[in-house]
Amino acid sequence: MLSQEVLKKFESLVGRDRLRTSPEDLQTYAYDAYVLEYLPDAVLFPKTTAEVSQIMKVASTHKISVTPRGGGSGLGGGSLAKKGGIILCFTMMNRIVEINAANRYGVVEPGVVISEFQKEVEKLNLFYPPDPGSATVATMGGAVLMNAGGMRGVKYGVTRDYLMGLEIVLPSGEVMNTGGITAKDVTGYDLTRLLCGSEGTLALVTKIIVRLLPKPKTRRTLQAIYNRIDDAGNTVAKIIEAGIIPATLELMDRMIIKALEDFAHLGLPLDAEAVLLIDVDGDPETVEKQAARVADFCKSQGARDVRVSQSEKENEQLWVARRSAFGAVARLRPTCVIEDATVPVSYLTSAIKRILEISQRNRVQIAVLAHAGDGNLHPLILCDQRDKEEMERVEKAMSEIVDYAMSVGGTLSGEHGIGIAKAKYLPRQLSPTALEMMRAVKKAFDPQGILNPGSFLEYQA
Amino acid sequence: MIARELKEEVYNCIKCGLCLTPCPVYKQLYYEAASPRGKVQLIKSILEGKLEPSKNFHRLLFTCLLCETCTVNCPSGLKVDRLMKAMRAELMDTFGLPWQKQTLFRLLKSRRLLPFFLFWGRAFGDTLLAFMPKGKKLGTIPYSKFPRLNPKALRAQYPEEVKVSQPRGRVLYFTGCATNYLFENVGRSVIDILQNLGVEVILPRGQMCCGLPIFLAGARKMALKNIKKNVELFNRDDVDAIIVDCATCGAALKKEYAHILEEMGENPDGARALGKRVLDISQYLVRFDLAKVLKPMKARVTYHDPCHLLRSQGVKEEPRILLKHIPGVEFVEMAGADVCCGGGGTFQWEHPDVSAGISGNKVKSIKESGAGIVASGCPGCRLQIYGNLGEEAIEVVHPVELLAKALR
Repeated sequence: MLSQEVLKKFESLVGRDRLRTSPEDLQTYAYDAYVLEYLPDAVLFPKTTAEVSQIMKVASTHKISVTPRGGGSGLGGGSLAKKGGIILCFTMMNRIVEINAANRYGVVEPGVVISEFQKEVEKLNLFYPPDPGSATVATMGGAVLMNAGGMRGVKYGVTRDYLMGLEIVLPSGEVMNTGGITAKDVTGYDLTRLLCGSEGTLALVTKIIVRLLPKPKTRRTLQAIYNRIDDAGNTVAKIIEAGIIPATLELMDRMIIKALEDFAHLGLPLDAEAVLLIDVDGDPETVEKQAARVADFCKSQGARDVRVSQSEKENEQLWVARRSAFGAVARLRPTCVIEDATVPVSYLTSAIKRILEISQRNRVQIAVLAHAGDGNLHPLILCDQRDKEEMERVEKAMSEIVDYAMSVGGTLSGEHGIGIAKAKYLPRQLSPTALEMMRAVKKAFDPQGILNPGSFLEYQA
Repeated sequence: MIARELKEEVYNCIKCGLCLTPCPVYKQLYYEAASPRGKVQLIKSILEGKLEPSKNFHRLLFTCLLCETCTVNCPSGLKVDRLMKAMRAELMDTFGLPWQKQTLFRLLKSRRLLPFFLFWGRAFGDTLLAFMPKGKKLGTIPYSKFPRLNPKALRAQYPEEVKVSQPRGRVLYFTGCATNYLFENVGRSVIDILQNLGVEVILPRGQMCCGLPIFLAGARKMALKNIKKNVELFNRDDVDAIIVDCATCGAALKKEYAHILEEMGENPDGARALGKRVLDISQYLVRFDLAKVLKPMKARVTYHDPCHLLRSQGVKEEPRILLKHIPGVEFVEMAGADVCCGGGGTFQWEHPDVSAGISGNKVKSIKESGAGIVASGCPGCRLQIYGNLGEEAIEVVHPVELLAKALR
């Protein structure tokens, strides 16, 4: 609980409208896209760095827990007030400060929604590639603190690869800058990338400088349909091995095909085991050549049908299937848990097979979607969170998926982050020393431990 | 009570947040309780008995345009708007209606009061408006930008059956209050075009307000008589279709009636049968070869999608096809044509700041399109857009008005 004195101080900083404490407001900041919920004591909406700094001064003086939040689309409870205290919600601090075409960078405030920033830069023929599935909801600040990935990861990498610099506010309220606007920068430790993916445990991000690319001139989409999922998996491995770098390489399994057909009637064959959706982009001549080569690969690996789009409009038509996949599957059952264990791409086929086996053995419904090109699996686990017995089986299946990923040199989480959802698996991947090192870093930034308490760092087995 | 099927809906929300950014209200306010996801989660807590339905919650329930954008964007297929509507009805007994709505709805539900109001409104309305302080607004709309009442109700200007020689078709025409009392030119245009095409038009006497403003405010019981009367009057087999020129009335007749009757435990069969035969005027007109009856006119025209036409009824292409049919018309698509105009019936005077923000974006898109005319088949959108256009010399019309103007 916050004292009246503290609430008054907060109110004097942001005003009545941007300090919210009604039961309705607290209830609606108790969740993100994960299943568990935690009530905060208050929600504050800063609009400037100065406000954030002043809020943190009050918070550190009174040792109040602060958890940053953007759009609230996180899948691991990272932005929830696990130990109460205040939620610092950045949705109202959402200006695009600068898009610099000459030096190809952009500066944004943390509350800018990713897809809206992308739209703006594309108007100038520039390109900001990271595109998590939640890009229309998630904020740039959230993307930085969670190091968000997405479908273009296979060619363009993730948020970290575009970060040039940050303005941050330390738990003490002090404002600090990291990195800058130059393409190269080796001055001191790379704190920018340390903060990226820190899940709000180290500092609050108030300004973000990202690198922009020239927008690719053309894009072609290929759709390949397979009778056997193994052949689809092998195609992926072969394409990557051959040195072709597609812009996206997505895989959908039989259950997704069925859900799509029931829901959207796209004309996909129901007896197929997998569909691959592949984008190649770049200069027109290169794209033509690459599209032909990728099509050949698909056929030689046993695709029964390969379609190559001839226009941007046709690209979009082929993408309808992938864009509708999540929705089509999510509506089958009340709850949909999205896993994101990731394996080296050469293990893709065996990973998918293992997941299907785990699904059957535990009697858990799992549809497999994958950013196949970078081995990032998205098993969609369908269940009803009200059914305790079923949820136990879901937990078991998840644990087995994690174990498998570990056994082949993969990772717990490719792009969603640890939060509280995967904290318990952490010791399977990180050594006690590595965890201690992380806790020491945390201490250097946040000696009082007021930022995002209850995060992955505090998990005790 | 909230229907069981709707209660179950709240458990299908996976809280992904894909409804946030498309929500015009959330994009003005930027706090979660104003978003569709937030409201669904609050409704869930209330249905589970974990949260009291407070005054603040009631205010949030009405901080919604019912534009249905969340419903069409929900990957899990949640019918968010229906949940909101049912919840409004559920809380009717606890919170009642503000006096302004009481007055308005009494007027709309009565068959006698409306013509009476038209007479006196016509006699004194203009004088009254002239006394209103200059630049004053009702919600976001300046008084000077309100339309004048029709000199005579539209239905009183025509016989019950508007005959043609050698009829090629026969329709029942649900005129709605806006056309009957405010925008007579829309009704005249509809009848002119249909006569030109050889279609007989029947204007059933005794038709009542569709009731949508009443039941969407939660006062379902108050609207029941209107619903039943209209269902009874328009369920006729001796016509090709029942046509509507108003997006809102269309949404009411096509789907809301059946939903409401069902959720109230009344028999929805009549309403369902009626719903299947109702067509928006644009849906009916695209069946004809209009090229034969139209002469060229020069205009740059854009189109705004009314929520009740696009999302409630799924009508998107038909009005555009009609506009493009007019020779000489240069049709331009504005950015975000499918985004709500911010009107939302009484929303615009309950939340003028939010509404003005949303309308501001719409007006910006319209200006950027370079069009001299905005067409939209909804009287609510028309009021809202015209009211927020400021000094801009841009006309706001119903698509049928342009078609009628282009008749040979």
